[in-house]
Amino acid sequence: MSNSFHRVKTIAKKEVIEFVRDWRTIVAIIIIPILMFPVLFIVFPVLLESEAAELDSRIIEIEVQGNQFPDQLIQQFNYSTTEITLTNVTFNESLSIPGDDFNRVRNMEIDAVLRLNQSEDIWYYSIIYLSTSEGSTEARSRIVDSLINWEANLTEVKILDGGLDVESTLDPLRYDGDISNSDVATEGEQAGLILSLFIPLVLAIWTFSSAIQPSIDMTAGERERGTLEALLGLPCTRNELLMGKWLGVASITGVGVMLQIVGLLFAIGYLATSDFIGVPDLSLGAILLIIASIMLFAIMVVALELALAMRSHSVKEAGSILGPAIILIIFPALFTQVINLDGIESFWFSIPVINVLLALRELLLDRVIVEHVLIWSSTSVLYAVLAALYAAKQFKREDIVTTLS
Amino acid sequence: MSNMAHESLLTVSNVFKNFGDVIALDGVSLEINSGEIVGLVGSNGAGKTTLLRLMSGVYRPSRGSVTLADGNQVHNMRSTLGVVPESTGLYSRLTAWENIRYHSRLYGVSDETSWKRTLKFAESLEMEDNLSRYTRGFSRGMRQKTALLRALAHGPKVLLLDEPTAGLDITSARTVRSLVKQVRNEGGTVIYSTHQLYEAQQVCDRIIIIHNGVIKADGSPQELMSITECNSLEEAYVNLTQEKARMRFEDKKSDGPLGKLWNKLFKPKLPDKTELMGVDEDE
Repeated sequence: MSNSFHRVKTIAKKEVIEFVRDWRTIVAIIIIPILMFPVLFIVFPVLLESEAAELDSRIIEIEVQGNQFPDQLIQQFNYSTTEITLTNVTFNESLSIPGDDFNRVRNMEIDAVLRLNQSEDIWYYSIIYLSTSEGSTEARSRIVDSLINWEANLTEVKILDGGLDVESTLDPLRYDGDISNSDVATEGEQAGLILSLFIPLVLAIWTFSSAIQPSIDMTAGERERGTLEALLGLPCTRNELLMGKWLGVASITGVGVMLQIVGLLFAIGYLATSDFIGVPDLSLGAILLIIASIMLFAIMVVALELALAMRSHSVKEAGSILGPAIILIIFPALFTQVINLDGIESFWFSIPVINVLLALRELLLDRVIVEHVLIWSSTSVLYAVLAALYAAKQFKREDIVTTLS
Repeated sequence: MSNMAHESLLTVSNVFKNFGDVIALDGVSLEINSGEIVGLVGSNGAGKTTLLRLMSGVYRPSRGSVTLADGNQVHNMRSTLGVVPESTGLYSRLTAWENIRYHSRLYGVSDETSWKRTLKFAESLEMEDNLSRYTRGFSRGMRQKTALLRALAHGPKVLLLDEPTAGLDITSARTVRSLVKQVRNEGGTVIYSTHQLYEAQQVCDRIIIIHNGVIKADGSPQELMSITECNSLEEAYVNLTQEKARMRFEDKKSDGPLGKLWNKLFKPKLPDKTELMGVDEDE
């Protein structure tokens, strides 16, 4: 037993050393996971803000067409960043038909055109713009803001003319007090709800995807490079070989996933300071069960990937099987996001992949429901064992020593 | 057979090995004695590598047995063997010594013991200065020497070499051959697969000619020439292997039902001979 453990450890250690010596691996399992969420949650919003500010300060050219140009409307535009041109036009057809303005807007001679026409008490309008141009979309947005304000003024005047109170007429139903005070969920639970929407998804996809490269390298890669034959002639059993390689892939994947969680928590910590999201309230039991569910999922996924890669004759073949196989995780992961957890039927917790994703969602809300825990843990163990047996079967095939080369 | 009297070390008894419908080895029986260099000679696809893989425990016989002197099946006693496959099987991101140490540890041999044995043979192979280098940039010869060191580091009784000099330059090939003789002189046994008759004649005490999965002859080079009444080993070989050699077949089993359907639909077809005959070259 101790000899067997020694051999498994030796194989795993060698796999990790060899894998880590490739600089691309360092990028893939350390740099990318640790930077992904901070970049997504911190740098990306900063970039968006900066782009929005740049657009705000941009000079936008708007042409207003019509017979009359109400002062109240024209005054709504901010003249420091918007250039208004007034053009007298009489319309004979629908205001929405671009006509001559079609090419002017498309060629960006002007950012947008506002057309106005009064008929009796009603003002009709249309905006000719180019939705694929950011400048034109910004022009449309500024026009719409101005029109809304102007419409509010017109409405107020009409209400007053009718002898009514403006506020009670326009806002007859009001919330009393602060909406956030009425929610009985704690801030931690609310944070858990937000995190439960994407953490299971990220964990599942990242666990699967980060195990692909090492799985292929340690099986089809060895087969292709001809190193597997020398290994199979050694006095270690195929099961020890599988266990060693599994431990190697699991260690690499584990580090990748752990670093990604560190990056995620850092990003959440940063966002928490900006009151965007809080820290979830989790009991020790929920934390331990989260770890157990991820481990069971990892055992299954890594064993399955090793088996599929070992079946392949080359790295290319393994890549073309395992790459698209990520759909098997993405679809259930997306599907799981829309399943309502309140009153959920227990059978959901027995379906492969979905069981772990639902378990993670529930546990992040600190809901430890014994029946659900028993179902997802027992079925996860079953699937992990089946995947391991399948992997063992593949490792015992004799043709794994043959290569395409 | 060689006249040298040695104890039997490894016995292959009536071994058959099938891959799907194809018979790779067809009732092979032979005995390997201690302290001899046995050459397995045959053309490509003759069954040399399959036989070596059976003797190293990588393959299991479809029928028959491969046993050691104590009666144990060879796949249960692999620690007594040292194997150098044709591809050498070195990890390019490990140094030469790390490659050797990795295998030695899996054989259950201490680093100290394997280091001492490695140094001893590294001197003969002029590899001492390369042990700390990554094998990534090694030449074919250096890779072969490293693989030999790796196979010897745990002190095996039997050394199995699959075409150890294929692709080597003259100097490296000589060095490898000389090491093989050194191992034999120190009491070791070597099974040496090759398709170069000159080399087999130079190195081996005994030559087994294998053709289409069947052993055609087994004896010293002189005995083979005498049996066939030929003046050279090459003539003797040609005389013994007159049947048309078959193609390699081991990968044929790998196509599943989908693969077979795919091949049926998209397999490239040769032009029809009759069509070609009808084409006027001037057109």
